[in-house]
This record gives sequence, C-alpha cells and structure tokens, in this order.
Amino acid sequence: MSARSPVLALRKVSRYFGAVEALVDVDLTLHPHEVVALVGDNGAGKSTLAKVVAGVLAPDSGQIEIDGEQVTIPSPAAANRLGVASVFQEPALLENLDVTANVFLGQEMARSGVLREDEMVERTRALLRNLTVRIPAVDTPLRHLSAGQRQAVAIARTLVGSPRIVVLDEPTAALSVAQTAEVLTYIEGLRDLGLGVILISHNLNDVRAVADRVEVLRLGRNNGSFPATTSHEQLIAAITGAV
Amino acid sequence: MAGSQSSLREANRARVVEAVKRHGGLTQVELAGATGLSQASISTIVKELVAAELFDVRNTVRSGRRAQLVTLAHQTGLVSGVVVGRRQLRVAVADVSHEVLAEQVMPLADAHRADTSLDRVALLIVELLDRLGTAMDELQGIGVALPAPVDAATGQVSVRGVLRGWDNVPVAQVLTKRLARPVFVDNDANLGALAESTLGAAREARDAIYVRVGHGVGAGIMLGGRVHRGVAGTAGEIGHVQVDPAGRICSCGSRGCLNTVVGEEALLEALRTSHGSLTLRDVVRLANDDDPGCRSLVRDAGATVGRVVANVATAFNPERIVVGGELAETGDVFLEPFREMIQRQSVLQQAEPPVDVVASGLGARAELEGALSLVLQHIDVFETREGVALPPQPQEELL
Repeated sequence: MSARSPVLALRKVSRYFGAVEALVDVDLTLHPHEVVALVGDNGAGKSTLAKVVAGVLAPDSGQIEIDGEQVTIPSPAAANRLGVASVFQEPALLENLDVTANVFLGQEMARSGVLREDEMVERTRALLRNLTVRIPAVDTPLRHLSAGQRQAVAIARTLVGSPRIVVLDEPTAALSVAQTAEVLTYIEGLRDLGLGVILISHNLNDVRAVADRVEVLRLGRNNGSFPATTSHEQLIAAITGAV
Repeated sequence: MAGSQSSLREANRARVVEAVKRHGGLTQVELAGATGLSQASISTIVKELVAAELFDVRNTVRSGRRAQLVTLAHQTGLVSGVVVGRRQLRVAVADVSHEVLAEQVMPLADAHRADTSLDRVALLIVELLDRLGTAMDELQGIGVALPAPVDAATGQVSVRGVLRGWDNVPVAQVLTKRLARPVFVDNDANLGALAESTLGAAREARDAIYVRVGHGVGAGIMLGGRVHRGVAGTAGEIGHVQVDPAGRICSCGSRGCLNTVVGEEALLEALRTSHGSLTLRDVVRLANDDDPGCRSLVRDAGATVGRVVANVATAFNPERIVVGGELAETGDVFLEPFREMIQRQSVLQQAEPPVDVVASGLGARAELEGALSLVLQHIDVFETREGVALPPQPQEELL
C-alpha cells in the first residue's frame, strides 16, 4: 500500500570499509503492510544495508527516517526501541535453553524483579500459533529443533517487542521445501499484521512468492526497483548488470 | 464433582487430538509439551484413544532416542491431494475417509513454472509422509488440481497460453516418474464441483454449477451427478467467455474475456491509483473490513460474473449454483450482486423449482477435497472398506 507514507526511508546512505564501497548513495523505502525484497550478488551490499537498519553498522553518510522523522540507529537496542527487529543469517539463539527462553532472551517479562514464567510460556504458545509454527513443545531445548523450527523461533522472537519493521536476512537458506514453505507463510503473516518487512534472499522463487517489490543492489548501488511480478530473467539481468 | 471431572477429561482429550491433528505426528513427550498436560495424563489419554481406534502408535527415533510416535489412526492406504494455484500451493496427505493427516501451504511466485513447482510438490509429499512416519509405498495415489483446463487423457493443460509456463508439461507423467505412484490430474473448478457435490453445498443436487472466483474465474458443471468435462476438458472455462468486445486481449488470445475484466490483474490494476500495490488477499480482507473502494470493486465483479453465470445456467438448468474461490470469502459483498443477476434471468426464476445460489460449503478446501476424491475414485480402497476382501490393487493404468 504505497499510497501511505513510508515507515522507513533511507536516503543516500553510504558505508565504506576502507577502499571497499559497501553502500554508495543507496535509497530504500518501506511501507507498512509491505514486503520489500533486497536482492543482489554476493557483496552487493544487502547484508550491510540490513545491518545499517538493525543498528549494527553506522552509515558514513546519508539519512534514515522512521515514520517521517530523521533518526540515528547507533545500536541494536536503539533499533528495538524504534520498532525495528532483525533476524540475521545465523540467528543468535542459545542451544541449551528452551523455546520460551530463547523467544524472550534479553526481553524477559518480569514484575518487581520476578520473572513471569507462565505468562511468557503462554505468550510464546500464542506467538507460535499465530505464525502457524509447527513446534510441538515450548519447553523443548533448542538443540532438538530442526533448522526450520529454529528460524521460526528467531522470527517469533522479533515479534515480542511488537515491532513495525522486520528485517530478515536469508531466512530460507539451508531449509527443506516444507520448512521454506513455513517461513514464506510466516512472512505473509507478518505482512498481514501490518508490518513492513525487508526480505534479503538469493532465491528469486521465494522472493517473488511473497514480496510486493524487489529492490536490486549491485556493487553497493541501487540498480532498479521492480514489482514482484517482474520476470526472473529481468531480475537476473538487473542483478548481474546486463541492463 | 464427578460431572466437571469428566468434562475436564473430555477437554484434555480434545486438546490432545487437536495437537496431533495440527502436527501430523508427535511423540508422547512432545504431546506433553504441546498441550501442557503431564506425561502421565498424556500416556493415559493416548492409551484410551488407541483403544478407541482413534490414534495409532508406532516406533520412531527422536533426537537419537527411541520414542513412540502418535498419529491419527488411518485406514489402510493414504492418498495425497495437491492444489496448484496461481500464487499458492497446497499439498495434503489424507486417509481414505478424507481425514487430512498432514498438510502444508506454500506461497508461489506470479507465473511460477511447472518444473520448479512440480519439484516442490514431489518434495513436499515426501516430507509430509515423513512427518507422519510412513513410507511412499503406503501412498495409493496423488490427485492434482490445476488452475487451467486439463485433458483427462493426457493429464496436461489442454489450452496453450492460459497457464504460463505449463504448456506441454505432462504433469501426471512428471510426478509419476518422481514418486512412482499413480497420478490423476484435473481442473481446479471441476474438482471443486466434485467436492461440493459429494461433501459440500451441492450434495442433494444432481445438476449443479460450481463457480470458482479467484485469480481467474472457472466453473465446474455437474450433470446427473457427474462432472461434465467436454471433449478436451475445457467445459466450464467461463473465464474465457467474452464480456467486452472492445476489451483487452486475454492470455488465451481472444479479446475481452471475463478474466480480463474480473481476473486478479484487472482488479488490482483498478485499485492501483487509490490503494497502491495490493494482493488479491488484501482486497478480500479490505472488502471485509468495509473499505469502500474494495467493496465497490468486488460488488461489480459479482455482478459481472453473475451475468455470465446466468447465461450458462440458462443453458444447463441446474438446481443449485455454488460459489467458491477467494472472492467468495467476502460473503454477501460478492454474492448479493451475483445472485441478483441470476434472479434477473426470468427463465431461471420462474421455473419450479427456481435455481438457488449458495456460498461454497467447503470454502478454501473445496479443491483439495476434490483432488482427494479424484484419487479415491480411481483406486480400490472403497471395496475393501465395504467389507469385500480385496487387497488394494496396484494401479497399472495411468492417466
């Protein structure tokens, strides 16, 4: 629904690592209720851009606006406060803790210093049910879960703080088809909840299945913005620089 | 109190059954976690339900340990239903009594291609069987619904161009080669009609029309209790009836087809200026949320489709018209103007009994149920169920 004002806007954002131009004057807008896919070759700047939005990397220049107001995102905690939640390629989850503990890791519910375990368990069950996640038990230690289930825990984790923007970096890499199907269905669910989603992926089938818009990055620069109905061939041409 | 004790036990039992249905198969330990009940209660309930022949228990391995996998009890023989949509794939494994044991939905890209999508179908079926702890040899057959006219003899799309990327693809053959199981293919609206007439809203009607209004429009025509396919399987393709002689060129090559006016692309295009980029699911949701623009659009679509169906119904004189597909999920927003167009056709209304227009009884599941029915029609499990001692025959003849 691009008729509404964007929830996130990046304007002329640049980030250099020495001589490496990771991002050069990159623009990106994201609306509520929209899935924007970021695609590009290795080193195109996708993950750098995700890290800028998540507060992990500070841009060298350029502006970031959330809800039309210019902001700086100096840390992941600051990103959380601004309503940005992120899931990176290797989700930071703890193997020995159960599903509930992982979902609430660092954001535990407590009242006067006492953890509200029952409420967290209930909330985790509700979150997983809303995402139609197939995880039988919320007290299962994480090491017993499949890759797809872990990804689901990582996504459920992002919803605890009621964010408005979710950044997913390669959420379907190394998943089976059924697990990919589940993750794509969660992404549709996030969009239905009215969130803006930035989806980074190499797989154009997955991207075109759930995205509203595809933004191509090439050598750290914008290389075109396409509706998700654009053909494979055209997207690949933009990714490789054939156009 | 004894009364509340037994109702509590009943509620716990229901929780356990629901958890098993949701996950396909669970170990007892997982069941305890999923329901919040104690292991002891789970053990008791599972024992009761196994005795009641509602659950099956089989040995499995979880996290390197032996465990007991609890599944819904199923009759010998499983069947798989596959619904290929324009933007979504639905794959399910059920037993011969239509009880769905495991199911997975997957969003698909616009204009997805046959090779990638059929590969996903094959892998999903394998994964679902795995979730149930069963092997491929328990699967009796696979029924596939395609959003295009299908030639029953070859099991492939019979009209070029209407389903991009699927022309000349021998769907049944591709899947049989991958999975070594019999595969039966039909059009989605035909399968919806089959399901509605056996399990849904047209059960009592011998002559009925099922209209599916989603990304495109299609119809399944039931005559004398059988789906009327036509010589090449294109019967009921009302999405390609001309409604605007000066309209756009359709994917089929003709001008001004119904699909160019009320198909997904046309609907979303009409909203682009006012609403930005939407999906068909958004339109349905917004129409249900009283968004005036989406409501007008869906209402007009209801009237346009209604005019075409009124003509089709005049030709066939059905007892009942059943409306399904995504747009039907807007309820009366679509159905009201649709019904009005049918009622304007005096031949249909003055006849006794007049034709009756109802919403689909199976909703989004109609095509899946139809795909399951299609397989069950072709295999012999029914005879074994009737008590005739016939082992399930291996199916030699493929579509």
